[in-house]
Amino acid sequence: MFSYVVRRMLQSIPILLIVLTLVFIVVRVLPGDPAVAALGDYASKDAVNALREKMGLNAPLWLQYMRFIGDLGRGDLGISIITGYPVAKQVATVLPHTLLLTMSAIILGYLFGVPLGISAAVRRNSFVDYFNRVFSLLGLSVPAFYLGILLILLFSIKIPLFPVVGAGEFHNLKDLLRHLFLPALTLGLLMTAYITRMSRSSILNILAEDYVRTAHAKGVAENRVLYKHVLRNALIPIVALGGLYAVVLIGSSVMVEIVFSRPGLGTLMVGAIKQRDYTTLQSVMVIYTVIVVLINLLTDLIYGLIDPRIKYH
Amino acid sequence: MKKKHIICLAMAVFLMVCWSAADAAQPKLAKEQILNIAFDAGDLKTLDPHQAASTNDRSAVDPIYNGLVRYPPGDQVKVEPDLATSWKLSSDKKVWTFSLRKGVFFHPFPGFPKGYELTAEDVVYSLTRAADPKRSSYAGEYTGISFEAVNPYTVKITIDKPVSETLFLAKFASYAGGFIVSKKAIEAKGDEWIKINPVGTGPFMFDSYEPRQKIVLKANPKYFRGAPILKQVVILFMPAVASREFGLRTGELQIIEGLKEDKWAETVASFPDVVVKTFGPCESQVLHFNMAKPPFNDVRVRKAFSYAVSREEVAAFMGKGLAVPIYSPAQAPPAPGALTKEEAQKAGVIYENNIAEAKKLLAEAGYPDGLKIEVIISEMASSYQKPMIAIQAQVKKAGIDMALKVVDHSSFHSLIRDDASPIVYYASWRPNVDVFLTRFYHSDSVVKTGKKPDTNFTHYGAVDADGDGKVDSIDELITKARWELDAAKQAALWREAQIQMLKNVAVVPIIRLKYNFPMKSYVDLGHPLEFSWATYSPQITEKTRILAK
Amino acid sequence: MWTAFLRNRTALVGGVIAVLIVFVGVFAPWIAPYDPLAQDSFYRLADRSVKHWLGTDDFGRDVLSRIIWGTRISLIIGVASVVAGLIVGTLMGMMAGFLRGKTETVIMRFTDVIMCFPDLILAIAVTAALGSNLINLILTIALVMTPRFARLSHGLILSLRERDYVVAAQAIGAGVPRILIRHIFPNIFGELLVAGTLWIGVAIRLEANLAFIGMGVQPPTPTWGNMIREGVDVLINAPWISVFAGMSILITILSFNMLGDGVRDMVDPRLRGE
Repeated sequence: MFSYVVRRMLQSIPILLIVLTLVFIVVRVLPGDPAVAALGDYASKDAVNALREKMGLNAPLWLQYMRFIGDLGRGDLGISIITGYPVAKQVATVLPHTLLLTMSAIILGYLFGVPLGISAAVRRNSFVDYFNRVFSLLGLSVPAFYLGILLILLFSIKIPLFPVVGAGEFHNLKDLLRHLFLPALTLGLLMTAYITRMSRSSILNILAEDYVRTAHAKGVAENRVLYKHVLRNALIPIVALGGLYAVVLIGSSVMVEIVFSRPGLGTLMVGAIKQRDYTTLQSVMVIYTVIVVLINLLTDLIYGLIDPRIKYH
Repeated sequence: MKKKHIICLAMAVFLMVCWSAADAAQPKLAKEQILNIAFDAGDLKTLDPHQAASTNDRSAVDPIYNGLVRYPPGDQVKVEPDLATSWKLSSDKKVWTFSLRKGVFFHPFPGFPKGYELTAEDVVYSLTRAADPKRSSYAGEYTGISFEAVNPYTVKITIDKPVSETLFLAKFASYAGGFIVSKKAIEAKGDEWIKINPVGTGPFMFDSYEPRQKIVLKANPKYFRGAPILKQVVILFMPAVASREFGLRTGELQIIEGLKEDKWAETVASFPDVVVKTFGPCESQVLHFNMAKPPFNDVRVRKAFSYAVSREEVAAFMGKGLAVPIYSPAQAPPAPGALTKEEAQKAGVIYENNIAEAKKLLAEAGYPDGLKIEVIISEMASSYQKPMIAIQAQVKKAGIDMALKVVDHSSFHSLIRDDASPIVYYASWRPNVDVFLTRFYHSDSVVKTGKKPDTNFTHYGAVDADGDGKVDSIDELITKARWELDAAKQAALWREAQIQMLKNVAVVPIIRLKYNFPMKSYVDLGHPLEFSWATYSPQITEKTRILAK
Repeated sequence: MWTAFLRNRTALVGGVIAVLIVFVGVFAPWIAPYDPLAQDSFYRLADRSVKHWLGTDDFGRDVLSRIIWGTRISLIIGVASVVAGLIVGTLMGMMAGFLRGKTETVIMRFTDVIMCFPDLILAIAVTAALGSNLINLILTIALVMTPRFARLSHGLILSLRERDYVVAAQAIGAGVPRILIRHIFPNIFGELLVAGTLWIGVAIRLEANLAFIGMGVQPPTPTWGNMIREGVDVLINAPWISVFAGMSILITILSFNMLGDGVRDMVDPRLRGE
């Protein structure tokens, strides 16, 4: 299995290299000039030019590209071309907040989604099933930022319960949780909807399989069929697709961070675009793709752990 | 009761009355003297005072640094001593000698744990740096000026050609290039380092910075005007209005940058303990025509456009308490040399909203069926996009179909300097009318083609504006005014130049938009907030304090 | 097929709402009570009234009319980007699945690369680079959709190409295009249609996300995302702007999801609700 992981990672390298190149191109194509963005409209042409020189933007593109790849290769994310602050340090301060938010949403999603999905599948066309279908359809349809706005309107403006300022401090748990509540609820509701829906359909799929029918026909007790045959097999797609939804969730987390003005990778990225902070933007995009690649790898591995039929060739 | 007792009692009562009277005169301070102020910004750009331009950066730089002179907090007309205690002007009006205050210390920085005393050497270094186009945005202000340290407490500044005191002292006030930086800090740590580690002499010193979160300043106990009352000033970056307003409501924040929308301000003002402060100087929002290209090379088309615009209505959209119509293309009154409405009216350069006249002029100019243009505008709402959307609807009534191409703010600045838009809507504040006229209307400043391309979007001075076959220019008036030493005559020349441009309809002055900062009523800024000269936000000084609720 | 559709309540309700929304979008000029750009400085941020059912915004523009006109942008972008993604993606997927070899490697690596980015991150970056206008937004979202369709059709074809009728067609010497068009495409079209319907919802939401960040079709053009963004600033004065614009997005996406769900239930009888 270790060799499989290594091989998978090696396979990811050419893809990552293309991804890096794409990121570099996209960032350089951005209209506008970071030096103008930094200095404001009062600055003279000379000042802008001098700053461009300092930012390394007057170097030929291929050289900038080589520097970018080279620095990354050495694990160096560089410094923000606007403030001169190390990008790695910026990422290190915001990444925990993004992870905290998405992890809470994933936990909420599985905690509520799997039981809801199972009960809906087992009692098809009951009230529970009906409620679940409406709930998951709504969750699938509502944009994260809109849900966030509705929650702010309810719990911060109409009834001022939760703060909407930033994310709190890590050393103050109570404060941290109070800040986390609404954003995590927003993402958690969406995740619950995804997981509910997916659990329901994977269980239904398996219920229709021959071996389940056979077990039923043999007169095996209902509960035993459910636990022994259905749940075990349903877990695979639930876990695997969970990885897929985690990727979707990372996208939604950007919107939630913006709505709640939380520090995080998403707000860092959008801020970097606004400021034309090339180095920061590049790094954040690279980090996002690395996270996606890791999630995919992890999903594959979990797949194999649960399903012994899959061998790591 | 014995007499003695009665006397004692009377004395006790008297003492208590005295105490409470003293109490009333001296309001109680809150226990925690920490001021949290939140801006509509994602992050800082630079705290290098010679480059800082955005509202939040300026407001952080201002309490950290001093200049040779300063405009007292809340004032914008008179000048008072700051780092210099006095100054003398030579008889040929070319040499200014500044005597420096003794015992002013720079904030501590690595290598100098106690700071060090400011001397003429720092002042000369700092001003030379401000005059260096590679290290300063304001270098143009200092051309033809040289600096010399006569002794540790005396600086001699020589100017090639005398200018009025108003113009001269503004360059050395605690603002932009006039801020005095530490020579030793920059020589030890470099220009890049002070971008996020400013070292100055002001009432507050830099403490820490968290990217995209906040800057923390702490009190400078050695400040020469006395130790500040506030212990800490926290400047927060919060681009979402809802967050700022919520923080103000809960008391987590004491001052916030408001939304430039009067209905919003009214609602916020109704929160408990909140007052909304609106103040100047405001950015003037001026519409510039590109006179080098059709259709706006024709004065009749420009006039038609002016008649189609109602600045009063634009002001109404932006909010009655916040936006004020303007008639001066340079500076808003009461700045010296600014055109008032009466003066503009007398000169006949207001072009009061008149759709019929607009249509007539358009037909005369060969556009009987109206006109189609595409204008590039910044996505920034209150200073660019919103007023332009209002104008778009107004000129449509006169048959002018103005499509808006909205781009991000930095692209906007690049594109308009590339002469890409037939109309440029520009919001700006400049320290005086001279800078305005020079940078926006002098022929040298014409975008792309000028000798020193800058922000002359109209091409004034390089084209024939009124159609008489001769190039129209105010270059001479600008120069004449600059070297005019009599303040009244100077102001008159500035007005003359502006009226000439308005007669040729090179620009349409639209509105100025006041700054709007809701704050907790228990914050005492320590000065009247009519104008904030050096920052675009309430100035935080050593006297600023938080009163007990 | 039609009777099944009519009997499937989810699909029916979703379909009816979707048709209504398309109707509103197409006939916006006749349905909207006001010009969506008409300003009124005396009637700014006004609450709901008989005159303005959903109130007015900060320019005194009628919110209802702007929502009605906003339908157009959302639908155009949603449908056009999905159709473009479907055509390009399916072609790529079919080529990869049928030609195999180098073609397959190149095409599938391309989808891998694109799918390394979360949808929204990719869309934000590309829109920022291209600039935001209607065409660029359609292109950007189509770029996000293409690999999805490529993977879907690729997978479907792999399971089909060994089928008897395909093998038989190859045996009698039918050319690749002919096999793809005559034998394979009709068999995967149903699945693609279901996915396409569901992904219209995804595309509309992506556009709304971009607009909310300020990267959508630019103002004063009314789009739902723009309206929510503009409304958020004045949430304490005029919550109706954001709330109703968001509601429109929600209902639209919901209707396409219901429609897609219902149709899938019919295509795949094992999952049928009734």
